[in-house]
Amino acid sequence: MERFIDPCCKECFNSKDNRCDQFVECCLTGPLCHDSEECAAKRRAIVEKLAHSPGYLEQ
Amino acid sequence: MYEKQILICAGTGCISSGAYEVKEALDNELQKNNMEDKVRVILSGCHGFCEKGPLLIVYPEDIFYCEVTGEDMPELVEQHLVNGNIVERLLYKDPNTEQIVSNHEEILFYSKQKRLVLRNCGVIDPENIDEYIIRGGYQGLKNALDKDPSEVVEMIKNSGLRGRGGAGFPAGMKWEFAYRSQGDKKYVVCNADEGDPGAFMDRSTLEGDPHAVLEGIMIAGKAIGSDEAYIYVRAEYPLAIKRLRTAIAQAEEYGLIGENILNSGFNYKVNIKEGAGAFVCGEETALLASIEGERGMPRPRPPFPAVKGLWGKPTCINNVETLANVPLIMRKGVKWFTSVGTEGSKGTKIFALTGKVNNTGLCEVPMGITLREVVFDIGGGIRGGKKYKAVQIGGPSGGCIPESLLDLPIDFDSLTQAGAMMGSGGLVAMDEETCMVDLARYFLSFTQNESCGKCTPCREGTKRMLEILERITEGKGEAEDISRLEKIAVTVKDSSLCGLGQTAPNPILTTLRYFRDEYEAHIYDRRCPAGMCKELLSYYIDPEICNGCRACTKVCPVEAITGEKKEPHVIDEEKCIACGACLDRCKFGAVKTK
Repeated sequence: MERFIDPCCKECFNSKDNRCDQFVECCLTGPLCHDSEECAAKRRAIVEKLAHSPGYLEQ
Repeated sequence: MYEKQILICAGTGCISSGAYEVKEALDNELQKNNMEDKVRVILSGCHGFCEKGPLLIVYPEDIFYCEVTGEDMPELVEQHLVNGNIVERLLYKDPNTEQIVSNHEEILFYSKQKRLVLRNCGVIDPENIDEYIIRGGYQGLKNALDKDPSEVVEMIKNSGLRGRGGAGFPAGMKWEFAYRSQGDKKYVVCNADEGDPGAFMDRSTLEGDPHAVLEGIMIAGKAIGSDEAYIYVRAEYPLAIKRLRTAIAQAEEYGLIGENILNSGFNYKVNIKEGAGAFVCGEETALLASIEGERGMPRPRPPFPAVKGLWGKPTCINNVETLANVPLIMRKGVKWFTSVGTEGSKGTKIFALTGKVNNTGLCEVPMGITLREVVFDIGGGIRGGKKYKAVQIGGPSGGCIPESLLDLPIDFDSLTQAGAMMGSGGLVAMDEETCMVDLARYFLSFTQNESCGKCTPCREGTKRMLEILERITEGKGEAEDISRLEKIAVTVKDSSLCGLGQTAPNPILTTLRYFRDEYEAHIYDRRCPAGMCKELLSYYIDPEICNGCRACTKVCPVEAITGEKKEPHVIDEEKCIACGACLDRCKFGAVKTK
C-alpha cells in the first residue's frame, strides 16, 4: 500500500464500482471495515512518510 | 522514514528565480552523497515570501533558507545535511535590525499572518492528493455529503463568509439564491480570472493547494443541487492549470470527483475553461459569456446568474479564495470560522503585498488587522527608510489610503467607508516619491484600456478622465479639471453597466479626497510635489560635477544642452522639453532636477 487509494488487503472493497462512504476517514484512522493492526500500520506508514514537520498533522 | 525532508518553493515566483535549478542541483548532491533514501525533496506551492525566493526549508528542524541557488547546494548538503551545521549566509536577515533568523515563523513577514486558506501552500506537495488528505482534505466534502443541501447553505450563511473576489457579497446568500432557483441543470463556476496588476492570490492558491478549491467547488455543488462546474482560469497561469488538471485526475482516481462520490449518490464533473486574460472577464456575466464562447462582455442584471446564468441555467459563481475557505468551514464548523475576523468580516484575507515595502509577497491576515501592521510588520516598513505615503488597496478598482488612516482595520466595511474596497487583494505600498496624480493616471490607463466598450459611461467616461489626468501630469491642467474629474467620476461610478466601470473612478476619487493638494500643485503651480512628473521638472547641470563628457548632448532630442568638451555644460530651459533623457544618460549625477 503505497498510496491511500491502494487496497490494504483483500478485505478492502473500495473500488470504482463500489465506493466506500468512509474512504476519507479510513485513510487516516482505518481500516474501518475490518480489524487489522497490519492494515492500520500501512496507513500510518504513508502518513509518517509524508508528514515532514511536528505541526504537519495539527490541522 | 526519511531523516530529513526538504521543501523547495515551486510557486511561479520561485520557479522564475530558479527553483527547478535548485532542485536539480540538490538531487545531484544527494545522489553524490548517497543520501537519496534519507532525504526527501518536495516541490511545494507558494510560500509567500516571493521577494526572497527561491526558498528552501529543511525539516524537521525548520531551517529557512532564502535566495538559494543551484551553486549553493554542495555547501548546503555538506554543511547542513552531512555535518549538521546551519549555513548562516543563506538565512534570512531582517532588513531593519540585521538580525539573522533561522526559523521562518520568527520572521515578521510570517509571524503576524494567519494562514488558513494558505495553510497547505508551501507545506504540501500540491501534486500529491495523499498529502491533502492527511491535512484534513475532503473531510469537509464528506460532512457536506452527509447533510441536506439546505443545511450546507445555512452553514455558509451563518459563517458570514463574504466573497473574496471584489465586492464582498455574502457567499451563503448567493448559494441560497442558486439553491432556491428551479432548473433541471445548475452550475458552479469558479472565478479564477485574476486580473489586477500585481495580484497573485488566486494563482498561488491554485498552484499550492488545488484540492482545496476543488473540494470547495463540490461542496457548493452539493449545496445548490449542481452536478457540474467550470473553473475559469486565465491561460497565462499555466502552472495553476497543470496542477488543477493533475488534482482533478487524482480526485477522479480516488472517487472524490465523478460518479457516486463516497457512495453518496452525488455525481460531479469539473471542467477547466482557459480565458484569454481580459480584465472584464473577471466580472461574472462577462465571464459566463466567455465560457459560452461569446465575446467577454457584461450583461445587465437582473436576471442574476443565480437565476439565469451559464447557458441560461441557475449558476453560482464564487472566487477561488472564497471557495478555498469552504472546506474549512465544513470541517471545523461555523463557530471556529466566526472566531476569526470582525463583526462584519469573518475569516482572513490574502493580500499580494507589493510596492515600496521591504518584504513583498503573499500574506494572509485576519480581518481586522490594521494597515499599519501589514505595511510595517509584515511588509517590514518602507524601503530605504523613506516616508510612507499611502497604499492602493483593491487594485485598479480600489482606492488609496493615506498615512492618517494607517490604523484603519482591514475589513470590508471600513475600507468602503474610507472610499476604497477590499477588492481581490492587491495591496501596493507607496512612499513619499510617489505622485498621487500619476498613480490615479496609471490605474485609470489600465481600466480604460480594459474597458470592453459596451456601455457609454465606462467607454467614454474612462477615456475623458484619462485625458484630463494626462494633461494634469504633463503640466497642462486647467483650473476646472478637478471639478470635471469629480463630475465624470461620479457619473461613471453610478451609471456603468458592470463592476469595471462602477469602480474604475475609485483611484481618482480617493486621491482627490486625500491628496487634493497634489492635484492643485500640478494645476496651479505647475509643480509635482513628489518630483515624479517629468514634464513638471526643470533640469539643470551642476557645474561642480559635470566633466564635459558630452554624453548628455548626444541624447538631447532638441539640442538644448551646450558646452565645450571637458568643460561644464548648461541646459537651455527655453529649449528643454523635460524628457529626462540627459538625467538617465549622465553617469556622474551632474544632471539634476528642481
